[in-house]
Amino acid sequence: MLSTELKSVGDASWRKDGLSKVTGSEKYAPDVSVDRMWHGRVLRSPHAHARIVSVDTSAAEALGAVCLTYDDVPKMRYNERIVSTPPCLYRDRTVVADKARHVGEAVLAVAAPTEELAERALRAVRVEYAPLQVITTMEQALKDGADPIHDTVLLDGKDVPIRNNVAVQRTIDVGDVEKGFAEAELVFERTFRTSRIYHAQMEPKTVTCRPEIDGGITVWCSTQSIHNTRILLGQIYGLPLNKVNVVKVALGGAFGSSIQMNSVTPICVGLALKAGRPVKIASTREEDMHDHVRYPSQITLKLGVRKDGTLVAGEMRAEIDIGAHNIQAYPFLGGLGGFWASLYKLPNMKYSGRAIYSNKTPSCAMQGFGAPQAHFAVECLMDEIAHALGLDPVDYKLRHYVGLGGTFWGQGPASKCIIRSDGVPELLRTGAEKIGWDKRPKPGSQTGRMRRGIGMARGFHTSGVGHAKASGAEMIDYSGAIVKLNEDGTLDLIQSLMDHGGGTNHAIAKIVADEIGVPGHMVGISPCDTRTSLYDVTTHATRGVYAGGAAALKAAKSVKAQILHWAARVLDVLPESLVIEPDDNLGQGVVYCPNLAERRMTVGDVARYLHINSLGTISASESMRQVNCPPAYVSYFVEVEVDTETGQIHTRRAALGSDCGTVVNPALASGQLVGGLSKGQGYALIEDNHWDPVTGELASKGFWVDGKTPSMAEAPLADDIMTHFAHTYEPTGPFGAKGVGEAAKNPAIAAFANAVHNALGIRFYEVPITPEKVLAALAGQEAQQRDTSKGRARTAPAPVAE
Amino acid sequence: MYMNTNTRILAPEFDFARPASLAEAFALLRKHGRGARLLAGGTDLLVQMKMERLSPELVVSLAGVKELDGITMGDGLTIGAGTTIQSVSRSPAVGARFAALREACNAFSTVSIMYMGTLGGNICNASPAADTAPALLVHDASVIIASAGSERRVPLAEFFAGPGKTVLKPGEIVTEVRLPAPAAGTGSAFRKISRVVADISQVCAAVSLVRDGARITGCRIALGSVAPTPVRVARAEAALTGAEGTADAFAKAAEIVAEDIRPISDVRASESYRRHVARTIVRDALQTAWQRAGEGATK
Repeated sequence: MLSTELKSVGDASWRKDGLSKVTGSEKYAPDVSVDRMWHGRVLRSPHAHARIVSVDTSAAEALGAVCLTYDDVPKMRYNERIVSTPPCLYRDRTVVADKARHVGEAVLAVAAPTEELAERALRAVRVEYAPLQVITTMEQALKDGADPIHDTVLLDGKDVPIRNNVAVQRTIDVGDVEKGFAEAELVFERTFRTSRIYHAQMEPKTVTCRPEIDGGITVWCSTQSIHNTRILLGQIYGLPLNKVNVVKVALGGAFGSSIQMNSVTPICVGLALKAGRPVKIASTREEDMHDHVRYPSQITLKLGVRKDGTLVAGEMRAEIDIGAHNIQAYPFLGGLGGFWASLYKLPNMKYSGRAIYSNKTPSCAMQGFGAPQAHFAVECLMDEIAHALGLDPVDYKLRHYVGLGGTFWGQGPASKCIIRSDGVPELLRTGAEKIGWDKRPKPGSQTGRMRRGIGMARGFHTSGVGHAKASGAEMIDYSGAIVKLNEDGTLDLIQSLMDHGGGTNHAIAKIVADEIGVPGHMVGISPCDTRTSLYDVTTHATRGVYAGGAAALKAAKSVKAQILHWAARVLDVLPESLVIEPDDNLGQGVVYCPNLAERRMTVGDVARYLHINSLGTISASESMRQVNCPPAYVSYFVEVEVDTETGQIHTRRAALGSDCGTVVNPALASGQLVGGLSKGQGYALIEDNHWDPVTGELASKGFWVDGKTPSMAEAPLADDIMTHFAHTYEPTGPFGAKGVGEAAKNPAIAAFANAVHNALGIRFYEVPITPEKVLAALAGQEAQQRDTSKGRARTAPAPVAE
Repeated sequence: MYMNTNTRILAPEFDFARPASLAEAFALLRKHGRGARLLAGGTDLLVQMKMERLSPELVVSLAGVKELDGITMGDGLTIGAGTTIQSVSRSPAVGARFAALREACNAFSTVSIMYMGTLGGNICNASPAADTAPALLVHDASVIIASAGSERRVPLAEFFAGPGKTVLKPGEIVTEVRLPAPAAGTGSAFRKISRVVADISQVCAAVSLVRDGARITGCRIALGSVAPTPVRVARAEAALTGAEGTADAFAKAAEIVAEDIRPISDVRASESYRRHVARTIVRDALQTAWQRAGEGATK
């Protein structure tokens, strides 16, 4: 039998780390404990904006604590997320702050033999602050004479002044937008707002650092990239990289909040170096909630169309309140524009984005980056246009989306590729059928207390930020992998690529198994660290399987060629005549010659032959960059039920579709969609953060009890969440695979807003759509209907200008 | 400076005792006075200690005091103060006769808190949002308060003195919660509105009705998270007592509730939202209780 079928890829197998995770034996950063370890605690500013006048640590030191203040740390300014290349990297922070720029900013740290003593020492420290103007809104920040949050930032080695607290601006122009709008027969314009929600990952940021006898350090920490953490720590503390070792430990979720080196990581290193002993810092939930939030958005989108719905021009203006530090506003603004450009065909477009500092928690990437924000504006406005023109939103979107042969902007203008796989028609048709799209009610037709509505939105995420250019990239994007054949025919996959919990490492092991031709269980995922693994930029941009998997595939191809080379010698045939296939009965890969059936041996036989004859170890170490960034398309159909008396919105059913190319593990890919729905529901309906306009304090004060996220109790019944996959093959992906993770969330808030419109006939342009907002909108609708029935002029539901 | 408060690290030092009987517990309380705090499930006390809102010298665990645990059915019901919320919610003795209490326990945030938290702890913590409080109020509960050598019985309606405050004196322990047998034809219900299911209420309400044919012969309505303590709404109760149990009557009573409560705006909800949904859940609860009373749930 000669089989070309994939065995591991496509099989819904148990993930290799599943058993250790469900039994609790897996080691996450908070589980790390090393001999003689002390515990660190971080003093965080209670002021949103204040100069630090003086610091007195004597009482803490009297308790036996070691203290780390601004005077103790390198004064080097850095950016904690070194995914961007130096010309695109805005450096505005130090290990502990020279001045407090948000409530919760790290001012100093202490270490003591126990966490309790460290906590008491922390409370003994005295810091005198001189409060400055607290800026909590973009309007305040932009006002002439507003206190500067940063005077300058460091950009590519140069000190760049910051004016009016504007951190960065970007513009993108395609075609002639003025001419385009002149041709438009109808123009729609709306302003959309999304909130600064907390990532709510399970694992609060945790780090342990052990100084080594040779002057080096070993670090175990929450991170999405052990190598970027290593590079930064080397730069900050002036250590050669071969003396900085960052160990890969399981990550208890991150949703993007550990793309950057987390704030506690360099603090812990500073404490450990000063104390001359290992130190661990485990952030409390309260600290963590003051440490990172999603980029919010205020987006004004204007679309010009012909009467048949053809898009002729578009303009988007985005204002982003990034909080106290610029972690990645430049790529965020580019991503926002690029995601918009890639949704629907627009011959003329103009984009301008502005990121503005404020004295609030710094914002950073979160599942989808700028895509959910762009999808919210575009998918809601497209829905509104379709309704205004009497078109079915599904048909309308199918007619105008950017698909096969079009250009996809992976994450802004710097990463573009031609679309080679496109499952959008299948996704939308299947989703519509599963949810019963044709049976959805007419918007605003219901009158009872409970009103149901179905909404749809579509979109994508990129699969990595690969591109074709040889130099001048905005972002770094490459991965490495080592594959080696063990002496019994099993294989080790050594890859620094982090798994957020979605099963990325397991998926890549399947790809390696199928490429070589061995059963999936024969490929083990090795523990590793920065010293024993190749560089991987970070697990972000839905690049894990597409980019990291491709690097491992490259190494697997080399290992396979070597196996065939030696097997051919033993079997006395040409290597080109051999194939390797998994044999489930033998539990081994079998190398054989289809033309000479008796010439066969197992991969284990090959390995033993090499070992006994001292012929060496078969291995390959490969590094690669994808030159494409294909769209991982996704479709969302959700059904909600609105209680018009309490304003609560319940999610009743969902049909979620993914075009991730070849589905590497259907169970886990489906899990990504279900998880995306849960997180998307929180973003759309529940989660929000507020900062006191006077003090700049977080309203929840970091208490989880007031930072609510949906749980299983808010989810539809398991059978009412339907997932499906497009039957596509991405020619540039490993075995045809693209990404799924972030795509699984991106259209969610738009789909919910469209579903609520379907139920109530009311459009919401701001998330979360909370019960209080629903009740206010219903009251407004009722007042308007009363006016209408009295014969007064009814205001148009949409400001449609001709 | 709240920035460094947190709900994980128990930094202050304190002594810990685990008496095996009430007598031993009373002795410890007498010795340490206000410096001692009682620990039942710990779901409130430990959080407050971590946040340093409370800094007791001595924590007295009641886990070893067996006489506080358990539910006894007599004419009415006696529930030991140390009985967990989970046990109360699953007790057949609570069952349909005390439906509001059962529903309040089932609405109790998360499973882990249901298994750790106790009925006595929930009321002694005296949160205006305590889920069991409105239910116990409509079941006409009283609490047995014991101290070394004496015991007193206080109607629950007189037990709460303000947010976090009760009429308990130093040295006293709530040992039991007693519920009288409901009158024939009684039905009760509990409703809660919260941001998500695993949450403290924005508003919660319990009602009980005594039904005689088409007429209401007895009525209690109580709410949480709408005043400094859990409260009953006398004017709404009076409006229903003697009235016919119609949708209209329930809506009018709910309207009175919305007028008479004095909620505040906070991080969980605005004052106006609380008033609005209080009306809805009271009306819903009245409908349910009326139906249950008609089904002879107490017979």
